[in-house]
Amino acid sequence: MTSKSDPVRIVLANLIAESQTPYTPDKILREFRATVDKRLSDRDLLFLLESISCKRPNCREVLDEISDTLESKDPMYALLVFAERINDETMWPSKFSGSNNSNLNSNRNPEMPASLQESELGSRCLRKSLDLSTSTPVSRRLSEDAPVLSTNNATSAPTTYSRRPLPTLHNPKDHLAQRGDLSVIKKRVLNAVSNSSALTMGSIDQLLNSSSGGNKTKAHNNASAGSGGPPGGGAGAGGAVSASSRTVNVESSPCSSPSVSHRSGISIAISTGTGTGTGTGTGTGTGTSNGGGNSSRAPSTGQATGYRSLLERCQLNTNSKSNNNNKNVSEGKDGLPDEYRTHMLWDYYRVDTPNVTFKPELSALPVDAQQRVLLTEILYSLSGVQGTYIVTLPNDELATGLAKYETRFNLHAQLDKSLAEMVQEILPLASHFMGIQKVIALTDGHGQVNNALNAALQNISHDFYMLLQQAEVELMKNDLTVPKLLYYLQPTIWVIDEIWTTLAEVDLHNYHGAAVLTHLCERIKQLEGDKCAQELIIGLARKAAKPYMRMLQLWIQKGIIVDRTHEFLVEDNEVIHKDELPEHYSDDYWEKRYTVCTECIPSFLEKYADKILRTGKYLNVIRQCGKRVMPTQQMNLEFDPTNELHVYVINDAYYFAARMLLDVLLTENDLMGHLQSVKRYLLLNQGDFTMQFMDACEDELAKNVDLVLPMTLENLLGLTLRLSSARCDPYKDDLHCELLTYDLVTQMSKIMNQQEEYWKTTDRLDLSGLECFAFTYEVKWPVSLVLNHIAITKYQMLFRQLFYCKHVERQLCKIWKENSIAKKFSPLAAELYRSAFTLRQRMMNAVQNLEYYMMIEIIEPNWHIFIEKMKNVENVDMVLSLHQDFLDLCLKNCMLTETSHLNRAIFKLCKICLKFCEFIQRSQRFFLDAELKSMVCDSSDENTDHSDSEPETSDRLQAETTLDETDTFAERVKRFDLEFTGMLISFLKQINDLAKDNTADRFMNLVHRINFNGFYSEQMEKLCVKNAMG
Amino acid sequence: MPSEIITLQLGQCGNQIGFEFWKRLCLEHGISPSGVLEEFATDGMDRKDVFFYQADDDHYIPRAVLLDLEPRVINTIMTSAYSKLYNPENVYLSKHGGGAGNNWASGYSQGDKLQEEIFDIIDREADGSDSLEGFVLCHSIAGGTGSGMGSFLMERLADRYPKKLIQTYSVFPNQDEISDVVVQPYNSMLTLRRLTTAADSVVVLDNTALNRIACDRLHIQNPTFTQINTLVSTIMSVSTTTLRYPSYMNNNLIGLTAPLIPTPQLHFLMTGYTPLTSDANLSNHHNPLSSHQAVNVRKTTVLDVMRRLLQPKNMMVSTGPDKTNHHCYISILNIIQGEVDPTQVHKSLQRIRERKLAQFIPWGPTSIQVALSRSSPYVQSSHRVSGLMLANHTSICSLFERTLNQYDKLRKRGAFLDQFRREDIFKDDLTELDESREIVDGLVQEYEAATRMDYLQFSTNRRGAKVDGLGDTKSEDTKSLHSADL
Repeated sequence: MTSKSDPVRIVLANLIAESQTPYTPDKILREFRATVDKRLSDRDLLFLLESISCKRPNCREVLDEISDTLESKDPMYALLVFAERINDETMWPSKFSGSNNSNLNSNRNPEMPASLQESELGSRCLRKSLDLSTSTPVSRRLSEDAPVLSTNNATSAPTTYSRRPLPTLHNPKDHLAQRGDLSVIKKRVLNAVSNSSALTMGSIDQLLNSSSGGNKTKAHNNASAGSGGPPGGGAGAGGAVSASSRTVNVESSPCSSPSVSHRSGISIAISTGTGTGTGTGTGTGTGTSNGGGNSSRAPSTGQATGYRSLLERCQLNTNSKSNNNNKNVSEGKDGLPDEYRTHMLWDYYRVDTPNVTFKPELSALPVDAQQRVLLTEILYSLSGVQGTYIVTLPNDELATGLAKYETRFNLHAQLDKSLAEMVQEILPLASHFMGIQKVIALTDGHGQVNNALNAALQNISHDFYMLLQQAEVELMKNDLTVPKLLYYLQPTIWVIDEIWTTLAEVDLHNYHGAAVLTHLCERIKQLEGDKCAQELIIGLARKAAKPYMRMLQLWIQKGIIVDRTHEFLVEDNEVIHKDELPEHYSDDYWEKRYTVCTECIPSFLEKYADKILRTGKYLNVIRQCGKRVMPTQQMNLEFDPTNELHVYVINDAYYFAARMLLDVLLTENDLMGHLQSVKRYLLLNQGDFTMQFMDACEDELAKNVDLVLPMTLENLLGLTLRLSSARCDPYKDDLHCELLTYDLVTQMSKIMNQQEEYWKTTDRLDLSGLECFAFTYEVKWPVSLVLNHIAITKYQMLFRQLFYCKHVERQLCKIWKENSIAKKFSPLAAELYRSAFTLRQRMMNAVQNLEYYMMIEIIEPNWHIFIEKMKNVENVDMVLSLHQDFLDLCLKNCMLTETSHLNRAIFKLCKICLKFCEFIQRSQRFFLDAELKSMVCDSSDENTDHSDSEPETSDRLQAETTLDETDTFAERVKRFDLEFTGMLISFLKQINDLAKDNTADRFMNLVHRINFNGFYSEQMEKLCVKNAMG
Repeated sequence: MPSEIITLQLGQCGNQIGFEFWKRLCLEHGISPSGVLEEFATDGMDRKDVFFYQADDDHYIPRAVLLDLEPRVINTIMTSAYSKLYNPENVYLSKHGGGAGNNWASGYSQGDKLQEEIFDIIDREADGSDSLEGFVLCHSIAGGTGSGMGSFLMERLADRYPKKLIQTYSVFPNQDEISDVVVQPYNSMLTLRRLTTAADSVVVLDNTALNRIACDRLHIQNPTFTQINTLVSTIMSVSTTTLRYPSYMNNNLIGLTAPLIPTPQLHFLMTGYTPLTSDANLSNHHNPLSSHQAVNVRKTTVLDVMRRLLQPKNMMVSTGPDKTNHHCYISILNIIQGEVDPTQVHKSLQRIRERKLAQFIPWGPTSIQVALSRSSPYVQSSHRVSGLMLANHTSICSLFERTLNQYDKLRKRGAFLDQFRREDIFKDDLTELDESREIVDGLVQEYEAATRMDYLQFSTNRRGAKVDGLGDTKSEDTKSLHSADL
């Protein structure tokens, strides 16, 4: 067959002929196949189609659809859709297509018409699609076979058609084939387009290229590429690679030696005199992604006569027709319901043909002749043909469980009893074998694993046929007797029984993908002891796992998921678009982008699921860093239930990826340098910078937050960074200012999701810039993986508390300096202020100890531990968790967790310190004047002097700010003193109480620090007593 | 905008310890004697600009002003390898070069006369810095120039730069040997007055203790000035280490001193250092089993360092035996350098607290602050961990008492007052001396009072207005604080 028979071309040629336009099919195809730069615009393409199809009644709707398709898909795809649509309307009877569709929808996913069609029809047209590929040796050989096939077809076709009441009107077979061709091609285009970003399946296979079947695989791909699909269209056949790569191997194994145990596990016992050629069929398995195609078998023994040829013919016919049966025969008269029809067999279809009415009386025959008839019948039954004396019982509609997959037989009553008994022993084999075929048919297209399993089962089926063929040869030579047959078949009966059980359960529980593999593994365990069957299932599992392992290999080697059937254990959630910069989604990215789908883990990978997930995840991160992921060593990942080799491969890949990402993160992107830098600024480790920045921004930050100009802050920050010792820091420019709209306490409530609005309403308006200020640190991918938004927020919380304390300390230092003028005062006067000075010192002590506690006792040791642990880090997840632990520990011990309301107490303490500073600064000018003017003066005079002269304010908002304007300096200091001390004591007390409940926290250290010399002990005890009293 | 500090070196002693100090700083920052940054030190994360500034050719110049009334010491400096380090404009030698003759009054009045020229230099230096934080004065209190001119300068600086900190490193005379300066008590007394009223903090370097340490601990029989000054320079450099190698806390002078000084008068700090083994000790063959080897017997922990720092024998101030055992710490800051596990700090503090190794004031909260500081990567230390203590301890008043006693003896006899009367300040009468004595006496009383619970109500002579403090609420039971367990 030549390219002229390309269905697209046919359709186009028809159209061109109809419309009498000056195009040729090839020309149109060329336009659509052209590369993007040379191609016509979509509009022109559309116009082209319009011009040739204008005669068609449905032209308008089709073109509308095509124009949509053109926008989103490859033009070639659109052309295929076009051809298909045009075809639909003209050649396909609408009624038929409707019923067909409804049929499809009844048991397949209705959402995916394209792939569905492909999977339904593809197998039907396998032969066809293969015939298209004429240019390669492989396919040429096929074409050479073609005459044989076609003769077979030709000879069998009449019988088939006459036997089967197919509801076809005119040449439906051709039509089906055409549709099928279109679908196959379309599938290829689809694959080529969808995989264009990464690799096509075909090229993946070339990459992996590990199996012995590699060469064949390539050849096969070439073959399909030449079949009229677009360049790179070999992808479509990729799904069938495993199937195709095995076929030749199996079939070419000679079985001339006695008792050769076949690879697929069925021992072929018949060997006597079968000649050399037996079983050397040249079938080239052509399973497409749905794996439905059986090997085409050309008789090569030359001895094929009688039953054998009939058998062959049956098979061949069912090959090409079984899909028609599946689809179009809605229900045989008393045949099987549609869903139980197999692809390739007669399924004991009851054929009522006048030719086969001859039915000799069994009882009238001698036992010898009976046996001969019976043997023929048995062989019929075994190959699924309804016999005369061995008749299937109608299927039990109500059967549940395994019985659903059983066929029961009725033996002719006149049969010799001894023979009948033996036949009864053989018949389960027929039932089970047919059951297996049914399951193959049912699970076909249910994902890659099922397909691979089915492909492997086809091998076994094939061997089974070989066995039958040998039996038949024996029969021809009159060497076969029923006992002999039973003897030969005995091992097969057992094995097929086990396979049938296994398979029936697969379908019964509707296993897909990983579940199938898990099931097979379980079966392997169950069959411990039954060596033969176990080995067989092991072989099946090995093959069934292949596509899965290929996905796994791709994932752990390159971090790519090619899993359109959703069987793989890792799911790509693709929360974000590919082209989006990773910085923006780094919080979510790590946790949410890839997840493990628990149902998709085969039992043998359960323990490694996490490792597998991480491996690919790491690789993806590496790729996002703009680095190529180049696996260093060849990977050969295959599942073998008998050993754990795959575990080593997975582990190797994991360590490779983990190491590589860690290198990228730690070495190339200097994560630790960045963390050091963050610690320097956000945890105030670079003290001089902090102080300088505070100096520089003092005025700006003292303003109300609404008046603070962020640009000014940013400029001052830049200036400070360049003038302080921070100028040597390579990452200083990552630091920025941020003005939040809430203070720390509110931020914490927000973070902890507490409904309680604490300071919000009252203090919101008069928040100073200082209270809202925080540094922020912006890093690029992949450092942002660690220094993500959440981590920065945690740093910011620490920063704000530290910064606020630092501010208070600075204010206290300031009034310390201003107060130091008092040393010039007379001793008497100096004494007056001593209470103020000591109060200031107590505040300083509290604030500084709080700072020391947070910095030296919490942050620094934890940092130290963090750094130590980081030295032995193995993977990025560890880095993340260590970093998070560090931050959480710091937050918790710095009392920044909402559960203890300690941070509010800290905030209040800081507030009162600031108020005191303000008060002292205000009073300073009065007492300075007073003291310096009269170095010694009466204290009573002073008191009046010191009283604040500001106008009295009538409203007293809060107790802590209540300053009776008539109070003397000393009285006010005392008031501050009482308030501060009260607050501090209750704060210490609170910590004390907490420490009693939870000794693990370090809060107690702070109490020890502030109360180092036991100054507050007594007051705390008093408070305790007071609380105890009520 | 670093918090710059200008160092003023006055007199023979001041210039000598200043010289050692700068030598040490250069070493630590990798600056060559000519002020050029060494190759290996170009990428340091230290802050050189607190004490140095860079000239046009990028070489480092100390923010130092060298003042003396006689040329001997300064000439030595200017002929040494470090002569090119200093800005020659900052070196001021009085023109007549006769010195102050160990006479406070002479130094004071010469300071008065030369103040214009001197403040030209100081003002220029101050203007050259972005955010001057304060002045550090190095001098001795016993001589003439350091004490007299130093006193004058302190007073002027306090007036002229009221917002700037004035810290002094004041060398107190050796009490163990008879001084050749007979008017030393007068000089000391007059200087002490200015230290009390004009300086913000005074780091007391007691020659008595320094000599004793050199003899007893370093096993140097007759310590030279250079050897003693090496000790002093160590103290000075370590006490500024948190400024030069900034970390979380104590990154400026005020942050360093403010927590130590609760009330303005109590601003005399003493220092302690450990391990006290100098390089001189390493070459000491007299005692092969020197303390240095003893140190290496086991790993030095933070607790070891902190415990040793609390021992009086490591203090650079000789306070004499505390018979009444009532003196106590007002505040402590430990600066610890070396390979320190930060997790140890808390444990050490706990241990000291539990064992009551230090006795603290009863009238206010106080604690041992620990600053973990980086140390210079360019100076190889033979010690894994070293520590400096800056402490405010009430026993410092014994030093002042000693001075008071000596002064009183001399004053009673009215001896050697003639040379003072020659100067302007004592032309009319000697009230200056009496006033000084009164102030120093007040200081001693205040320090004594600080050991007591009722410090807040303490008044030197008369009681003024009653000031209610927290002290009321506390019991008088302070006996629970035991003396340091050494």
